[in-house]
Amino acid sequence: MNTKTSVLVSESSIGDTLRDLLSKLLENGEVDSVFALRETMQKGRYCYSLISDPALITETLPFHPVMPVQGARALSNLTITEPLTRPVAALLRPCEIRAFVENVKQSQGSLENIFIISCTCPGVIPASKLLGEDREDVLANHDENIRNACRACIEFIPGAQADMTVLIASDEPHDGTVIYLNTERAVEIAGKLDSLSRETGKPAAELTSGILEARKNSLKDLMKDIPAPADGLQSLVSLFAACIGCRGCREACPLCSCVLCDYETARTLHSPELVRAEAKRKGSVRVPAGTLQFQLGRLMHISPSCTACGQCSDVCPVDIPVSDIFIRAANLVQESLDYAPGRDTDDTPPMATYVEKELLDITD
Amino acid sequence: MNKIIVDFLEKALVSGYVSSVLVPSKGPDNTFPWTLVSDVSALTKAESVPPVMSVQGAKALASFTQSMTEGKLLAVMRPCEARAAVELSKLEQIDLNNIILLTMDCPGAVPLKEYRRNTGIEPDISITETIRPLCRQCTEFTSAGDLCLAMHGGLRAVLPLTPAGQELLDSLGMKAEPDTSAWNEWASSLRTEREAARTENRMSLKEAYSGLQGLTEVFSGCISCRSCRTVCPICYCRLCFIDMKDRRCPASSHLERSRSSGAARLTSDTLLFHIGRMAHMSLSCVSCGMCEDACPQDIPIGRLVSMVSAGTTDVFNYRAGSDPEDPLPLNTFKLEELHEYED
Repeated sequence: MNTKTSVLVSESSIGDTLRDLLSKLLENGEVDSVFALRETMQKGRYCYSLISDPALITETLPFHPVMPVQGARALSNLTITEPLTRPVAALLRPCEIRAFVENVKQSQGSLENIFIISCTCPGVIPASKLLGEDREDVLANHDENIRNACRACIEFIPGAQADMTVLIASDEPHDGTVIYLNTERAVEIAGKLDSLSRETGKPAAELTSGILEARKNSLKDLMKDIPAPADGLQSLVSLFAACIGCRGCREACPLCSCVLCDYETARTLHSPELVRAEAKRKGSVRVPAGTLQFQLGRLMHISPSCTACGQCSDVCPVDIPVSDIFIRAANLVQESLDYAPGRDTDDTPPMATYVEKELLDITD
Repeated sequence: MNKIIVDFLEKALVSGYVSSVLVPSKGPDNTFPWTLVSDVSALTKAESVPPVMSVQGAKALASFTQSMTEGKLLAVMRPCEARAAVELSKLEQIDLNNIILLTMDCPGAVPLKEYRRNTGIEPDISITETIRPLCRQCTEFTSAGDLCLAMHGGLRAVLPLTPAGQELLDSLGMKAEPDTSAWNEWASSLRTEREAARTENRMSLKEAYSGLQGLTEVFSGCISCRSCRTVCPICYCRLCFIDMKDRRCPASSHLERSRSSGAARLTSDTLLFHIGRMAHMSLSCVSCGMCEDACPQDIPIGRLVSMVSAGTTDVFNYRAGSDPEDPLPLNTFKLEELHEYED
């Protein structure tokens, strides 16, 4: 087995190296545009931008530890109607790539002409933690402040769709920048970048095995601590009692792409007659009805494809640990369906695939 | 305040004049969900003026009253929620027949996110920092719906505001006609204070966020989560204009936008969403502040829409939520109008 891989090395910081790389890609016409993070007019508020002007590349914050919008949702917005016909370089985290692969399977976007630069991901900080004046402190204490989803993420090394992978999370701290070249296109582009030297280096998995162990332990804790259906209906009612029905979790989720959600259709909305009948039958009933129906319904629809990004928890105005609940269910569901979301665009989503004999171990 | 209201609800239910009651109740995890109550025994959990507004009362009401059949319903909610219910009745989302709305002198609500992080906060009118920014400048804090519980100016009385309200009081044998002059003075004085605060706040808002540049800045942090829309009582459309498939832009158009401006933000149409939403709903905005509570990025969206609403309703001399008979300007055809805005 070849335990050495082809890398680009620079002595400059990751931010500077990537800004330089992206500028060159634009200036040389290798790409028409770059998809990356920028800080907006307001401090602590960030957005993804499709940047065509090389001068604006100086403003990008490559892999700044925040995910204002899930990258897949932004790329879907870009490519849902038609694929890109001009090349674009996109900086994406592993979970964003995986979610976009799922989007592609569901005709919600296209990977064509997208050159993907990803990273060994150290996790992102919830956007709300960066809104205040203490944002520098929060950023300085990165590892303490990352999303629960990130803390328990064991897929922080991107899959086959990443053309390049920047080493960010690593067991040993490192100065300078190391970029893995995963595809022929990456090697081709690397050949034209003289400011970076070409070397061989250890595979990313080897340099992050300690992190993987820590993440696996966190995931084990999450699976244990989050309430399970076996805990009973009352525990689920308490868990979602604070839900105000804002549907932020759904809108933020890259997998929730339905134009009209099942839970907004006339057939699922509870009729006035039913609500009033329930009030009479039980003495009192919570309104609007359907809080648990929405949450559990969405859980059922999404858990086969959930890529554990944690965007849902970020957006929740009442701090319900939505992503923890979804990650727990997703782990169990994906294991029993033997499905790895985001692995390959040729994998068919289990719910859309007819198999004559399946799940025999859980049927009679 | 809660005891007086719950006693009144109990009386109305027991008398059989109403067959059900809508009131917030104490729920698990320090929550106050709306409950439709048909059995008096469930009123022990009622919390008629909770410290937070988790779901807009009119939205809760609309979820089961698009048509009303047998039995009257007595619903207790804040003045802004009752006014939203009136707007929703004009939009055919609530059938107000057989619904009696009871409001009260509203103490304001604690910001929802703050409350979730510290459930010890009590709203206190005298400590403005405990209540939401929109509540601090609210001038419609009492006297809405069919009945209002007056708790100031030495009063502790349910005052009738409409014939429907009077009919309920009559049937319960509540004949008292208290002297409301001190209460009116209290309301008038607080209204003046709040108006001054509102004028000042709106001036700062205008200064900070005027013009296209200002609007872009105030919405910098918007992540297009649509929570402001979903929690808004007036936004009842199940499929919003912004989500329609024919609105989608091809990749080439995003690239063109990126080329001509140097950079194009994704997801796109942030400003279009907010301006479009305001164009659709600002005439009925009741400044309840639910949008601002739901926004995960601390955008002063409630104060902004409230300010825009003041401007748009001015054009039509319209007051949202005050009179069910007052038709919605956008739904009303007039052959001659708005000449002062034409060339």
